[in-house]
Amino acid sequence: MRTLSSLQGRKVVTESGESLGSLYDLRGELGARTLRVTGLVAGTRGFLEHLGITRRSATVIPWDDVVRIEGKRIVVRDQKS
Amino acid sequence: MTEIDIALKVLDHQILDCEGRRCGNVDDVEIEGGPGEHARGSTILVGAGWWPQRAGWIGRVARWLAGNERVRVPWEEVADVEAGVILRKTAGELGLGRGDDRVRAWIEKIPGAHR
Amino acid sequence: MSKVFGLALGILAAVGGFVDIGDLVFNVSAGAMFGYELLWVIPIGVVGIIVFSEMCGRVAAVSKKAVFDAVRERVGFKAALGTLIASEVVNLMTFAAELGGVAIALQLLSGLPYRWLIVLAALGLGVVIWVTSFDWIERIFGYGGLCLLVFAVAAVKMSPDWGEAGAGLVPHVPQSNAMVYAYFVVGLLGAAMTPYEVYFYSSGAVEEEWTPKDLGLNRANAIIGYGLGGFFSIALMLTGATLFLGRGIEPEHLGTIALGAEVPLGEIGLVLAIVGILFAVGGASIDTVFSGAYNLAQFCGWEWGRYRTNARAPRFTLTWIVLLALGILIVLTGVDAVVLTEYAVIFSVVALPLTYLPILLVANDDAYMGRYRNGRLANVLGFVYLVVILVVALSAIPLMILTNVGQG
Repeated sequence: MRTLSSLQGRKVVTESGESLGSLYDLRGELGARTLRVTGLVAGTRGFLEHLGITRRSATVIPWDDVVRIEGKRIVVRDQKS
Repeated sequence: MTEIDIALKVLDHQILDCEGRRCGNVDDVEIEGGPGEHARGSTILVGAGWWPQRAGWIGRVARWLAGNERVRVPWEEVADVEAGVILRKTAGELGLGRGDDRVRAWIEKIPGAHR
Repeated sequence: MSKVFGLALGILAAVGGFVDIGDLVFNVSAGAMFGYELLWVIPIGVVGIIVFSEMCGRVAAVSKKAVFDAVRERVGFKAALGTLIASEVVNLMTFAAELGGVAIALQLLSGLPYRWLIVLAALGLGVVIWVTSFDWIERIFGYGGLCLLVFAVAAVKMSPDWGEAGAGLVPHVPQSNAMVYAYFVVGLLGAAMTPYEVYFYSSGAVEEEWTPKDLGLNRANAIIGYGLGGFFSIALMLTGATLFLGRGIEPEHLGTIALGAEVPLGEIGLVLAIVGILFAVGGASIDTVFSGAYNLAQFCGWEWGRYRTNARAPRFTLTWIVLLALGILIVLTGVDAVVLTEYAVIFSVVALPLTYLPILLVANDDAYMGRYRNGRLANVLGFVYLVVILVVALSAIPLMILTNVGQG
């Protein structure tokens, strides 16, 4: 069983090796009785962004694009820019 | 269906039961489902017992001080997520707030506890 | 009409409650060592606490969150836990210092042995908290603190050199003893911008269910209350300057501080000074012990509140009781109350950025604040004070070491 906190901070890389930053949140859809996870929120989270001083430069990667979750990183399909 | 960022809107927020009683903070959220599957937030984890996995040794020390409580609340028990996570049932029914219940037994022995 | 009356009463309570043992020790000592030269620091400290409190009050009214709710949600769990531990340690030290002050004041009035009075004072405070409604606690200790007005009267009666005092209100560098001067700048700011006051204020705002409509009134209460309270600090510094400067008297004991009112006004001045100290410091000790309980309860998500009956918020209640007991133990070790005060003030200054920054961020956050987020003035002041607080926090411990806790 994975926890949200354990996923936070893992590096997100594409299959071709491009780094998309670190995961800092999960995007979800709140239904009547469920919370569906729809995507990863990743980016380069500098100190200032972590505190919210500068706007986050975040990418949202659809959950369907997740290929595998490893110990220190998450591999996703190549994203179309 | 509302779109939310889970760490932003759920994690570390106050939990209120159906009577408005404070019964913990969201100490973690369990995610069920892996790559290629439907993933969902399945359980809310509440209690100092979940702290070491978030804060390492400092979490262990804090857990030692705050008590090794570990409660699991299935997401189906969540009624809403606005200023905090609001539950459908009372804290007692979900196993939350037990620390307060235990301490209350002592506090009530002191005269004037119900003023 | 009754709203104005209520506001006036609130202001009086805030004024009487402004001074705590840190202010007593640092303002009088600063006057004793540097005369009028440090007067300029007082308004800076007063504006600082107003800025910090205003943001916390606004955050509480709009987002319904108190300081530690915001800290935990905003800065990440590990950092928040670290901040909590630092705040609890500092709160406890401050409480112990205030408790020591209460015991000394009681000793000056009664002549009973100090060690007994420590326990008696703590038990007395405990009973007062347990039994009395919070509005009454604020009133009793707030109005009692107004006796400190005697220092203002005494200061005027000592005919200070008003010209020199005026010059002291302009920021300037010292002619000598720069390190000790800098140490006092840090200490005076720390004594004015006490974090426990902010935790207490913000938690009270959430409990009283302030809404944005309440902001105007409560802002006025804070600004005028703290502003006028600052005059008490000025009076204390003037007392130190006119009475102790150049005579080699260092106010190392609260009794010496109280003499500041006796010399010009006689025995009545002395009694009023001690009574004023008793209530001001007593009120502060209640605020600190509650702040410790608020922070822990908010971080852990427990039920909390001074308006909740003691049995409805059991772990919160247990926390302040435990803090009270720990405070007694600390003071019973025989540590000197004034020394403990200096350490408490310096350590709170070091920990101050840890809670100031999250509040500044939350006050700016659209999602929490909507249209009540910081406007330009609030942000200019907010960021200026962030810099001030960071500089002061980083230099506090080095200065304390280099000046041997202000001894030079």
